[in-house]
Amino acid sequence: MVNALTPETTARPPRPRSAGPARTAVGPRARARRHQAVVAYLFLAPVLLFFAVFLILPLGFALLLSMSHWAGFHLGDIQPAGLDNFTSLFAGGSTFLTPVLTNTLLFALGTVALALAGSVLVATCVDNLRFQGLWRTLYLLPIVTTVVAVGNVWKYMYEPGGLVNGALNAVGLDSVAFLQDPDTALPAVVVVQAWASVGTAILILTAGLKSIPESYYEAAALDGAGPVTVFWRITLPLLRPALLFVCVTQFITGLQSFALIIVMTRGGPGDATNVAALEMYRQAFSYGDWGTASAAAFVLFVVILLVTLAQLWIFRRKGEDA
Amino acid sequence: MTGAPHGLSRRRFTLAAALLAAGCAAPHQGTGRPNDPIVLTLLSHYASGELKAALQGPVDEWNATHDRVKVRTKAVEFNDLLTTFMVRQAAGQGADILQPYCLWNGQLVRAGVLRPAPPEDAAEITRGYGAAAAGSASVGGKVYGYPTEAQTYALYYNKRLLRESGVTHPPRTWRELEDTAYRTTRRDRYGNTLVQGFGLSTYDESTTVGQTLALLNAAGGTFVSGDGRRTAIDSAAGRAVLDLERRLVSSGASEPGVNVYKAFQSGQVAMVISAGWWTGSLKAQMGDAYRDVAVAPVPVPELGAKPATLATGFMLGVNASSQHPREAWEFLRWLNTDRVGVGKGATVTRMSALQVSVGSLTGRADDMRTLLGKGGDPNLRPFLDALGYAVPEPNVPGAQQAKSLLRKNVEALWTGQQSVDESLRTIRRQVDREVSRSW
Repeated sequence: MVNALTPETTARPPRPRSAGPARTAVGPRARARRHQAVVAYLFLAPVLLFFAVFLILPLGFALLLSMSHWAGFHLGDIQPAGLDNFTSLFAGGSTFLTPVLTNTLLFALGTVALALAGSVLVATCVDNLRFQGLWRTLYLLPIVTTVVAVGNVWKYMYEPGGLVNGALNAVGLDSVAFLQDPDTALPAVVVVQAWASVGTAILILTAGLKSIPESYYEAAALDGAGPVTVFWRITLPLLRPALLFVCVTQFITGLQSFALIIVMTRGGPGDATNVAALEMYRQAFSYGDWGTASAAAFVLFVVILLVTLAQLWIFRRKGEDA
Repeated sequence: MTGAPHGLSRRRFTLAAALLAAGCAAPHQGTGRPNDPIVLTLLSHYASGELKAALQGPVDEWNATHDRVKVRTKAVEFNDLLTTFMVRQAAGQGADILQPYCLWNGQLVRAGVLRPAPPEDAAEITRGYGAAAAGSASVGGKVYGYPTEAQTYALYYNKRLLRESGVTHPPRTWRELEDTAYRTTRRDRYGNTLVQGFGLSTYDESTTVGQTLALLNAAGGTFVSGDGRRTAIDSAAGRAVLDLERRLVSSGASEPGVNVYKAFQSGQVAMVISAGWWTGSLKAQMGDAYRDVAVAPVPVPELGAKPATLATGFMLGVNASSQHPREAWEFLRWLNTDRVGVGKGATVTRMSALQVSVGSLTGRADDMRTLLGKGGDPNLRPFLDALGYAVPEPNVPGAQQAKSLLRKNVEALWTGQQSVDESLRTIRRQVDREVSRSW
């Protein structure tokens, strides 16, 4: 918008530098602005201090540690190590890339795929049912249950004499050592993580479903579209913002997952369910190798960043803005 | 709005800063002068129940009889102990007296956390304790503390299950062990295990590794070389142990995924190798069924072979950062060497009495015999005998990581991911790499 007063304003002659009355007119305003800025920073200070102490400082310390050797006891013993910790993570014989990082990606991918598919299905069904609040509450229950309880209950269910094997035996099948067999251990934990996280996804997706205008469905009905066509051509495309959010957040949670695995398998058998966060914990708190743990944390950070950017790129190509 | 002036006055600000600084500063430890006793902190894993009470007894006695130096106990659960050492040490708040698991000693010594024992204490520890206990409390030949509980490994067996399978005595050799395991194993028609012949377990790291190392030591092998810089498991003894375990698992006589501690109590495991501390738990939880439990030495490969097993333990040492090391050693000497009467003229150390009161042992064999001779559990005898021939768990720098790597590879073997040869090769490569890095 063009300001009609602009030419007049720009044409105003410059103030004389040495004019006493002019200085006294500008001085208080400048001082007032400076005072306002100081007050604003003072108000911001607690938040800035919080971020500095709990975000910037640890991040800087972790970066320092990732390029150092430190046993975790005396701060004076931090020894510079350059990129040694990073190179040792990917050196021959190291288990970090395979199986640890591979397991991490498989775990996250499996969790997202299962949780997303399940939540879309359930959210669509819930959206067409009566007592929607009740259904949403029921599916949200795993979220309010502690991971330790969830992990232990599922662990017992998977055991040879447990509920899952009991069901298999009831239909004449042999028992499966879900958590003891390296081929089934990771998928078994993925199922639990997906089950535990499906409630949040349903909550977000049902909100997304509610935001789809009813007129689209009415138009589709007039055109004689069936439920499958409506789902693929209307519901799913218009649900994309919610799907993007669920996909990104679930992937990040999956890549950082730690508690469920330590409760259910402790990373075993062997390294079959060992993931990056668990390995970092062990390196730091059990082996006293804080340098390697911090380097692994930064590698995981890069992986999460790349995966998130890839998801945003894929969704943007489909026309969805972050 | 009128009234109070805006902002903090300089006086109030100074007061607030002083209070903040006082809150962040280390607690006052005293000077040892009258009415200002030195206060030593003791950080252990005796965090709850009878363990906490057992340690508090002698500490209260010390505090009641000593005016110049007082002791305050702090405790965390075992799983948080090493982390707590790290965090407190890094924050300059390390306790004066620490009670580490001996496996960590190499790591703690390398990080400069533990102070070597004074010569008179080192001599007393070497002279008064069994070789395994003194070895656990030493790193590179230097003694760092008084051994507290000493755990040796032996074979627990269920007499009823063996009897029902026609076995009249516990196995003494590996051949007998395998035969007994196969004879006692029971499964239902769906393949669910009803009774495991021999309980190999992935329950936790200590269980998995303890079982394997006890058998390795019994076969004359060791996990780490004498100089502590490489693994020695890739040997004939190591191969024999892994072969034995692979046979037991693949035949179904062992079910590693089962929680062996619960299964044995329920009569679902015929035999299992575990440490002496377990007797107390079994007695408390099995009730009358405990009469079926007996303990024998870990079987050896051939009849007549020299017995050996694994020993693990804890110790009490002094923090290198302590401001009062002399007083800390004085307290430890009082706790671990001064003798108290236990009736009929017999005397034992306070620590020996404490450990036996909670169903554990110390490395002082004479004290243990005195205390167990007074109506103690006969199942503790094999563990006591083993103090004479047990091999201490390696505690070199990097020992914790070496133990984790051994656990992973043993599990990979048990679950068929690796052959015996692959496991031995991988253990050697991974452990050698990590242990050499730690030095």
